[in-house]
Amino acid sequence: MVERQEDATKMQAPVFLGAAGWIHCLKMPVLVRFSDLSMFLATLPEPSRSGDVLMAFLSILFEGAPYILIGTILSGLIDAFLPSKFLERLLPKNKVAATFAAGFLGLIFPVCECAVVPVVRRLVQKGLPLSCGLAYLLSAPIINPIVVISTLTAFKEFQDVSGLDTLGNATMTIARITLAYVVAVGFGIFLIRKKPSQILTPSVAASVERAAAGGAQGGPQGFDAKITHAMRTAMRDFLDTAMYFAIGVLLTSIFNTQVPQSSIQGLAENEWFAVPTMMGLSFVLALCSTSDAFIAAPMDVFSNASKLAFLVFGPMLDIKLVFMYASIFRRRFVILMSITIFLAVGVLCEPWIHLISLLQNK
Amino acid sequence: MKAARYTIHLISVLLLVLWGAVMLYFYTSGRIIQYLPPDGIFRPLVLWSGLGMMVLGLFNLFTMRAKEADCGHDHGEGGCCGHDHEHHSDKHEHEHQHEDGEACCSHHHGHGHGHEEHKHEHGCCGHDHAHGHAGHSHDDEAGHSHGHDHAHGILNESGLAGKVFAIFMLAVPVTYAAIKSPDRFSEFAVMNKGVYDQNYGSTARADEFSLKRPAAARQQTTQQSQLPAGDAAPGLTPAVSATKDPQGGIMVPTPSADKIPGAEGQDVKSYGSFTLQDLEQQIPKSPDGNFLLEVPEIYYTASDKEVQSVLTGQPIETIAQILPEKGELNADGRRARIFRMMVQCCAADARPYSIPVQFEQTPPAFKNMGWVKITGIVDYEMQEGQTIPVIRARTLTEAAQPDDQKVY
Repeated sequence: MVERQEDATKMQAPVFLGAAGWIHCLKMPVLVRFSDLSMFLATLPEPSRSGDVLMAFLSILFEGAPYILIGTILSGLIDAFLPSKFLERLLPKNKVAATFAAGFLGLIFPVCECAVVPVVRRLVQKGLPLSCGLAYLLSAPIINPIVVISTLTAFKEFQDVSGLDTLGNATMTIARITLAYVVAVGFGIFLIRKKPSQILTPSVAASVERAAAGGAQGGPQGFDAKITHAMRTAMRDFLDTAMYFAIGVLLTSIFNTQVPQSSIQGLAENEWFAVPTMMGLSFVLALCSTSDAFIAAPMDVFSNASKLAFLVFGPMLDIKLVFMYASIFRRRFVILMSITIFLAVGVLCEPWIHLISLLQNK
Repeated sequence: MKAARYTIHLISVLLLVLWGAVMLYFYTSGRIIQYLPPDGIFRPLVLWSGLGMMVLGLFNLFTMRAKEADCGHDHGEGGCCGHDHEHHSDKHEHEHQHEDGEACCSHHHGHGHGHEEHKHEHGCCGHDHAHGHAGHSHDDEAGHSHGHDHAHGILNESGLAGKVFAIFMLAVPVTYAAIKSPDRFSEFAVMNKGVYDQNYGSTARADEFSLKRPAAARQQTTQQSQLPAGDAAPGLTPAVSATKDPQGGIMVPTPSADKIPGAEGQDVKSYGSFTLQDLEQQIPKSPDGNFLLEVPEIYYTASDKEVQSVLTGQPIETIAQILPEKGELNADGRRARIFRMMVQCCAADARPYSIPVQFEQTPPAFKNMGWVKITGIVDYEMQEGQTIPVIRARTLTEAAQPDDQKVY
């Protein structure tokens, strides 16, 4: 017992010394008081299986929650300030053309998968056609500048691209972007004739109908009222999204720490199982789309096709996203969507990577 | 039912402030350094979003009453809510409900939520939800606003069970984790993450740890792993900052280039040779003359024959965590395994990078997962078809845990 306590104190000292130095560096004397506070807290618990889950849970939370906050504040502002006809004016009149265009929205409006959910929910409520909303929802976490750079880096494709003529050497990056675009837009078009009530949760569908019927509604008038409204909506959206997020992250943390990763790798060598295995892995690991390429790249036992499947499927669908999608879509639709995306990515990834590698400058 | 609406509003504010407080606490206490990498924007984002949640929560707290004023007036007469109140805007309807009294609420809504339905903390203008009615009937002067704003939101529109569940999921896991998280992984997680299942041929981040990289770049990396919470290098994500190294990735020759140095052009030529002098120049030494190397640096020499030929037989010193070697790899019982956890983006994706350590006799007693300083000689051997580095240990001593336990 005594020994254990000693260990615990040993643990603590450097952590807090580090903290103090760190905060000093940032010149934030006001906040130092907080760090003193933590001195009074009991020493850290000993590591354990449940501790592993909590640790993974918090780390994913810290990584994702800021983006959810950004997404929901954006969503609140959209709700209060964006005229409801704005999107209709921005996108092409033709629904098919609009869906094609929506697949590129991520380039202008870059968000990762945590932030995109509340934004899409709000945009759809504001009258963005469903097909466009889906195309944006699925493509934005992949087709955005940050993800492009991280994929190029992880697969070491930067140094092979010296100019336009060698662009084809970035095989994995190009394959990822194009396949994501095709799947996202394809899925949007596939559902172009669906009514909102068939897909969306009743409350979201209701506001869509309202947006369609009462297009002229102005929302609260005056800046103060609008900002109050925006902040209130942001808070509500945040808690909504965060709850689903918390459930998903909890499950993911359990998989992440309690299941031997090597048990999955055994399936990798099998030609038929490699792709579904990688998609399953991306589903349970629920990585952020900005970093998943770094996880996929070192998995040398897997083929490029299965890595591509990992990189395209993961940002579109994983444990936390399934729960977050439930805040927009009916449960049946989430299942349909999961199956469709799984099949589409699974079938296309192999021919796709071959097709794209033809571009390679040899 | 203002009270109920306010209650939900207050709970929302509290939950938001709770999340903000947890994030700020982890940032300011420095515990965040065990969770997120120092480069990129992840750590600062925790600070800013923690502050953001606080501000958002407080803003909503102070404007809690504003809602009625804003919305009620604005669209009481069919302003923004007009479209959806066919029945609300009808005075009779309200009176009706009043007469029906509270008992009628549930059937009105048809959801069976009873009173909970009145918590229309929905801001303003919104939806024509059937369940909005009762709220109106009680809040007449405030106009219709309460009944119908955004019916989305679990806290607003679900039944009692749903509300309780939502509040539970929002409040409990994050609080419990904040109190109970040990800030480090146990050996179970390290094993599940593959400490015994290493792929030494991998070159995924080899450029960051290759001994061939320029001294300046090397210093940067090692500093990051040694300094407490190395201050966030400017850059968007780890990905982005990694690419800033102009030599990124070039220093890792492909196997073919390895055999024919220079065959791949200037890339390989400029780093094509690696001699003992290079090693002496670039790698700092301990007072006893051991090269100070990190485990990932030794790990990645497995994919570089040239560095191997120089490093074989050299004395090194490293600080790492230790576990017993797995049974089948430890037939003679003289091996242990040292590792460092390497993080891409957050602690959840940490992967152990491990190398075996061979002792003369049975290894001295050590605490599993403990921090040790190992000195020894670098050697290589073939195991299951891959070259793996092995340290032939001279000494094993307990070491203080470094501030930054993970390598980023």
